[in-house]
Amino acid sequence: MNYEMDWSAVWAQAPQLAKGLWFTLQISFTAYVCAAVLGLVIALLRLSPIRLLSMAAFAYTQFFRAISIYIYIIWIYFGLTMVTGLELTPFAASVISITLLHSAYLSEVYRSAIQSIPYGQKEASYGLGLGKVRTFLDVVLPQVVVLVVPQLVSQFAMIIKDSAVVALIGASDLMAETVRAANLDYRSFEFYTTAAVIYLLIVIVVSRLGGLLERRLKRSST
Amino acid sequence: MTVSQHEILSLEGISKSFAGRRRGWFGAQPAATQVLKDVSVSVKAGEVVVIIGPSGSGKSTLLRCMNLLTVPDRGRVRFQQSILFDKGMGGQEGRLADLSDIRRRIGMVFQHFNLFPHKTVLDNVALAPMRVLGLSAGEARSRSMAELERVGMAAKSADYPGQLSGGQKQRVAIARAMAMRPELMLFDEATSALDPEIIKDILEQMKMLAASGMTMVVVTHEIGFAREVGDRIIFMDQGRIVEEGPARELVGAPANPRTQAFLNAIL
Repeated sequence: MNYEMDWSAVWAQAPQLAKGLWFTLQISFTAYVCAAVLGLVIALLRLSPIRLLSMAAFAYTQFFRAISIYIYIIWIYFGLTMVTGLELTPFAASVISITLLHSAYLSEVYRSAIQSIPYGQKEASYGLGLGKVRTFLDVVLPQVVVLVVPQLVSQFAMIIKDSAVVALIGASDLMAETVRAANLDYRSFEFYTTAAVIYLLIVIVVSRLGGLLERRLKRSST
Repeated sequence: MTVSQHEILSLEGISKSFAGRRRGWFGAQPAATQVLKDVSVSVKAGEVVVIIGPSGSGKSTLLRCMNLLTVPDRGRVRFQQSILFDKGMGGQEGRLADLSDIRRRIGMVFQHFNLFPHKTVLDNVALAPMRVLGLSAGEARSRSMAELERVGMAAKSADYPGQLSGGQKQRVAIARAMAMRPELMLFDEATSALDPEIIKDILEQMKMLAASGMTMVVVTHEIGFAREVGDRIIFMDQGRIVEEGPARELVGAPANPRTQAFLNAIL
C-alpha cells in the first residue's frame, strides 16, 4: 500500500461536483413527480373494469419493470433519435427513462394500497349518493396516500441512485462529473468515495424527511 | 304509526345470479348461483318491512337491489315515481334515473358499519351533506351535530372511528344516513356484528326511527324486533319469498311449513 491520498484534488473540483449534484437532483425530482403521477394513472387503469385498459396497464408494468434502466436510457436517447429523428436533450431522455421504470414500480404500490381499502367503505359512499370520482377522491385516495408514503419515500432514494446511469449519455450529473474529474486527476479513489458519501447523505436526509412525514400523517389519521 | 297507501318503493320480478370466479387463465367457469328468483316487493310510505330468512336466502341481496348497490340481472326497480332500473320486463331498458340523485334519498346502514376510518365522526356524517347536497361546511356540520345528538354520539364527534366500540360505530352510521334526510332507510343486518348487550341498544335506536314515521326495510335475525316493530314480515328462502304478512300474524301463526321450521329453529 503506497497510495497517497490527495483530497485537495476533490476540493479543486468541488464547484463542478456541486453543479453535477444540482443536475442529479433536478433530474431525480422531475422524474419522481412524473413517475408518482403516471404510476397512479397506471394503477387506476389496471383496476379499471374495462379489460383492454387493465390488460394494457398490466403489460406496461410487466414490460417496464423487466428491463434494466441501462438499456432504456441508451434506447431512448440514441434509439428514438435514430428511428424518429426526434432529438432529445440528455435531461429529457433521462427523465423519460427513469419515469418509465419507476412509474411501473409505483403503480404496483398504489394498486395494492387501493385494493386494501375495504369495499364496504366504497359501498357506504355510493349509498350516500357520492359518485365514483368523488368516492375515490374523498374516501379512497386520502387513505391510500398514508399507506404509500413509506414506499414513495424509499422510491425517491432509489431514483436518486438510479439517476447515476444518465452519465452514460453524457448528461452532466454528479456521476458524470465524478468520472470526468477522476480521469482528469487520476484520483479515482478520492472522487468515487466523495460521490458515494454524497449519495449516502442525500438518501439519509430523504429517509429522515420521509419518516417525519409518515409520523405526521399517521398522527392526523388515527 | 300510520302506513299510507302511497307506494314509495317497488321491486318487480327481480332475478340475480352471481357468477363463480374462474381460477387461473385456463380454469373452467364454475356454474353461477342464482340468489334471487323472480322476487317482487313493494313498500308503502311509513311502513316498516322486515325481511327474515336463513343465511343464503337472498335477503341481503334483495335489500341491496333497492338502491342498486347490487344490480339485478332482470326486473324493475321503482322508487317514488321514477324507474331506477328496468331490464327484461318489456319496458325501456337500462338504468333510467340518476342513481346518485336516488341514492341520496335512500339511507343505508350496514352490518360492518363501513365508516370512513380517516375522517372524524363529525366528518363522516358531514361528508355527504356537503358533497352531495351541496351544503356549506357550517350547515353540514350543524346538521350533523344534530343527528349525532339524536343518537347520543355528540360527545364523540371529534373522535376517529377506530376509537369507538361497535355499538358506537353503528350509532354514527345511523346518524350518517339520517343526515341526508332520507325518505327510506335500509338496514342490512345492522346488529349482526354486535355484542348481545349492544344489540338492544341499536334496536332501540331503530325503534325510535320507526316511531318517528320513517319508512324502513330491515334485514335482521331479531325476530322479537320484527314482531314488535315491523308492520309486515317477509320470509325468504332459497331466493324466493316463501311467505309474507302482518308481523304479529306471521310470527304467531306461520302458514308455510318452511317458515314454521325457521321460526322454531331460531326462537
